[in-house]
Amino acid sequence: MSVGHVARAIEETGTPTVVVMVRAFRHVAERMTLPRTVITPFPMGRPLGAAGDTETQLATVTAAFDLLDRAAGPGEIIDLDLPFRPGWSTSLP
Amino acid sequence: MSTGGYDRAMDTDTYGESFEEFRKSFSYGSRSDLNFKFLKGMSDEEASEFFRHLLDRLGDAYDTGDLAPLIQLAYEAQIQAYAPKPGSPPSRYTYDDGPFAPTSMPVAGSTVGLVSSSGHFLRDDDPKPFGIEGMTQAEAEDRIDDFLREAPALSEIPHDCLPDDLAVRHGGYDVTSASIDRNVSLPVDVLAEAEAAGLIGGRTTTYFSFPGATSQGRLRKILPEWIDRIAEEEPDVMLLVPL
Repeated sequence: MSVGHVARAIEETGTPTVVVMVRAFRHVAERMTLPRTVITPFPMGRPLGAAGDTETQLATVTAAFDLLDRAAGPGEIIDLDLPFRPGWSTSLP
Repeated sequence: MSTGGYDRAMDTDTYGESFEEFRKSFSYGSRSDLNFKFLKGMSDEEASEFFRHLLDRLGDAYDTGDLAPLIQLAYEAQIQAYAPKPGSPPSRYTYDDGPFAPTSMPVAGSTVGLVSSSGHFLRDDDPKPFGIEGMTQAEAEDRIDDFLREAPALSEIPHDCLPDDLAVRHGGYDVTSASIDRNVSLPVDVLAEAEAAGLIGGRTTTYFSFPGATSQGRLRKILPEWIDRIAEEEPDVMLLVPL
């Protein structure tokens, strides 16, 4: 919730923002109507990916940049489908 | 439905501790483990099912060596525990609409700034919560109630700082991953790689981090100061990472 306040305040000054958060907090993005949100299917404490997994971390921020480029209005949320650990064949649900 | 074993675990005369007390002890209690503090938000029935499936999948892992189902179970339990409960009062910070600032150029040409509520700070610039320099993670967890009453400090993180320049402390979550690799929540190296790959136009000189377990009211009061400081970095867009 803390970052939600920061996102809304920055956006109100005219600077576009994108928030990346784990799925356990998806309801926070919804009720705060954050400007743009990327939801990651990862355990809490690892919103961008597992420790040492540079590839997934870069894919996560790339998804955030893509959302910045294409979002047309507030409240857009996208759910990423990425494996949590390198080599896993499927993402967490 | 309860099993016989479950019923015995609930017998405080036998074990001196109810199952409810047991599961809540992982949230700042005698068994505090912030990776599993979500057990406090589950019902006894939900938590007992979690443990049953956890042991079942652990048994499978003996033969398969596959830990993914164990992690998946904990991940699903987190989501279940933190989901708003039916009939719970709405958050005071619920908004029907939100601000929206369109981008003025592609991100590939934009300067990106970063704010994370990870609790990272420079080792030589300890924010000294409550005046305590060198507060440990364990001490921060012990004082979570104090953190939730106070305004947070905004730490400045140079975009070219080295991993050993940083420490992380946050009373609200398990910082083990963030200690091993800052990029799980403060993507210093990832943004440098993104710039090198041409995904972004540049990076602000300074990033920011604060411990997000804090007084929401006091945070909102100091936000104008934070926003002015962040604006001095002249970001075109901002990446924000809550923990």
